[in-house]
Amino acid sequence: MSAYKGDGVILMEDKIVVKNLDLYYGDNQALKDVSIVMPEKSITAFIGPSGCGKSTFLRTLNRMHDLLPNVKILGRVLIDGQEIYSPDMDVVQLRKRVGMVFQRPNPFPKSVFENVAYGPRIHGEVRKHRLNETVEQSLRGAALWDEVKDRLHKSALGLSGGQQQRLCIARLLAVEPEVLLMDEPTSALDPISTMKIEELVTVLKQKYTIGIVTHNMHQASRISDHTAFFLNGELIEADDTGVLFTRPADKRTEDYISGRFG
Amino acid sequence: MTTRQQFDIALEELRQRIVELGESVNSQIGLAVQALKEQDLALAQTVITGDSRINDLQAEIEGKCMFLIATQQPFARDLRKIVSGFKISISLERMGDLAVDVAKTANRIGQTPLIKPLIDIPRMSNTVQKMIEIGLEAYGQEDEKMAREMSQMDDGVDHLYRQIFRELLLIMMEDPKTITQATYLTLVARFFERMGDYCTNIAEEVVYLVSGRRIDLNQ
Amino acid sequence: MKAKQTNALATLLLWLAALAIVGILAWFLIFILGRGLPVLGPQFFTGPNGVGGQFFNSFYILFLSLVFSLPVGVGAGIYLAEYAPKNRLTDVMRLSTESLATVPSIVLGLFGMIIFVNVFKLGFTILGGAATLALLNLPVLVRVTEESLRNVPASYREASLALGATMWQTLRKVILPTALPGLVTGTTLVAGRALGETAILIFTAGMSVSRHLFDLRLTAPGETLAVHLYAVQANPLPGTHAGRVANGTAALLVLVALAFNLLLALPSRWLQHRLSGKRG
Repeated sequence: MSAYKGDGVILMEDKIVVKNLDLYYGDNQALKDVSIVMPEKSITAFIGPSGCGKSTFLRTLNRMHDLLPNVKILGRVLIDGQEIYSPDMDVVQLRKRVGMVFQRPNPFPKSVFENVAYGPRIHGEVRKHRLNETVEQSLRGAALWDEVKDRLHKSALGLSGGQQQRLCIARLLAVEPEVLLMDEPTSALDPISTMKIEELVTVLKQKYTIGIVTHNMHQASRISDHTAFFLNGELIEADDTGVLFTRPADKRTEDYISGRFG
Repeated sequence: MTTRQQFDIALEELRQRIVELGESVNSQIGLAVQALKEQDLALAQTVITGDSRINDLQAEIEGKCMFLIATQQPFARDLRKIVSGFKISISLERMGDLAVDVAKTANRIGQTPLIKPLIDIPRMSNTVQKMIEIGLEAYGQEDEKMAREMSQMDDGVDHLYRQIFRELLLIMMEDPKTITQATYLTLVARFFERMGDYCTNIAEEVVYLVSGRRIDLNQ
Repeated sequence: MKAKQTNALATLLLWLAALAIVGILAWFLIFILGRGLPVLGPQFFTGPNGVGGQFFNSFYILFLSLVFSLPVGVGAGIYLAEYAPKNRLTDVMRLSTESLATVPSIVLGLFGMIIFVNVFKLGFTILGGAATLALLNLPVLVRVTEESLRNVPASYREASLALGATMWQTLRKVILPTALPGLVTGTTLVAGRALGETAILIFTAGMSVSRHLFDLRLTAPGETLAVHLYAVQANPLPGTHAGRVANGTAALLVLVALAFNLLLALPSRWLQHRLSGKRG
């Protein structure tokens, strides 16, 4: 159990190590002394009731909170042993390495192609054949290529919700990240689209380290290797998914996953 | 009513069904021993036909468990409660089958005079019945300690089995004409010894329900 | 009364209100165009007392005023929408914008006259008119820009930044293109208003035109169509057929305004389709 609490030795396979992380919105403490590790090429699910800090935590991993005023972050976040909150960290490079998929699919109001090419373009790729290759690879990687190959230059907004979300994943893959953070990626989708995203995520873990926030405990139990339970800004328990869902150590975890919270 | 409350009610219904199954099995065991002891063949027949009720009850419990898993997709203790309840119902149903085996053996012995008064076999059945009772109590109260204590009673059952075995062996050696009945009685003792093992399985299920850990209490 | 009947009544009233708007506009158009269209012809522009110069000045001054006000107005709007922190300074900036928007245009005209005519001694010029008109455009442009940018979903920003784009890349490649239709519509409104503006221009650009048609000098006098309409009606010179000229000018102004709206509305739609990649 404690292996996932990040209080031991840092192992090579620990892609992300978080130590004693506190986060404040103004005077309001949203994360309290969170320590956890996320092993490489595996899926870590973050569960907990609304407002427990799981999304807030996820966003600390690619410094998305930098966009908000009045956020104070204490503690350490290491990715590949590198302090991401150190002053000489290049946030743009960090976000390229640690990509994020959001709750609602948010493709740009551009064509399918332009959406996927966006990332490589802003990072300086101008060669047309390279862009074509990257777009195709990324769309294939997101299991979307066959569905959109005939409409690459039509608006992304014409795709279904599930396709849009896979497009957002493809857009992310195009910048060749190492870590994929997903903030409730299926909460706005129907069951079939949800299933496709879940399948995709389990395939993607062969190449990427994935952190996924979900309201859906069954989703967490289906797709993740490790699960972390947050409550009121605290990390209550983190363990192998199989263990956490069959014999959680903490009464609060038990109550939450048994639906005993009001 | 919240779905959680409905789920709790369903779990309680499941428990009651399992207790009901346990009581039926207990009464089958009692009747089987009585039929054997009093050489009451009609009673033995009642036990044999009564087994279908136990099978039906077990099937119903299995259905309830499947339904709860499919509809509630339970986690943690809820999941363990259903899984352990399901496995307890299987153990009980097997004990019901063994009670039928005892009744069938009573039929085979028929009206031939008993080679000795039956004392230790009723003792074994009493202990087994007690173990079932305690096991169901421990399941309902999710009491690991109670379950562990119950499993210790199996030592007594095993001890009685060995004692009966030796005793019948001596009788057979003294008088080969007793061999047929003595073999039947050895089998009956063996049936109860098996029942004791099933009771320790029930205790293991209660331990799993409470702690989430699989242990072997049958050593 | 039953809810159903109330509903029917309300629907009827609202429908009548909408109909009234269309009716008034139609009446207005028939009236103005009916009296003015017969007058219009090549002669009306190039003949004696022709309004060709005024026609040209209207667009020239409008164009110059937009050249002056667009960079500043759009720039300030972008700053307020995307970069400005919430503090006292930006509050002051917003308040200034609001205040500038509430200044009556005639006051702006007087201000322009003091600066350009009296202080710089330029006389009534196209430059003075355009620069003062820019003051009228500015606050609206700031407002329109800020609004259009704020209407761009925050999720686009997040998506872009999460891909490792800088704020500037995000602004240039995602936010501005998405906000462009709104910006174009807003600019059309500003331009439409500026085209019909008189009070400011009477005091700054004056009520006479250059003797040369299409005089591009910034210091040329810059009477516009709207001002001309005012001038001929206020001081009808004998022998100039002031009534006919006024009717024709009014019709011309209306046509110009209609054409203007159409011209700018169409590209806005086209832009929207192009940007969202939809087939129109």
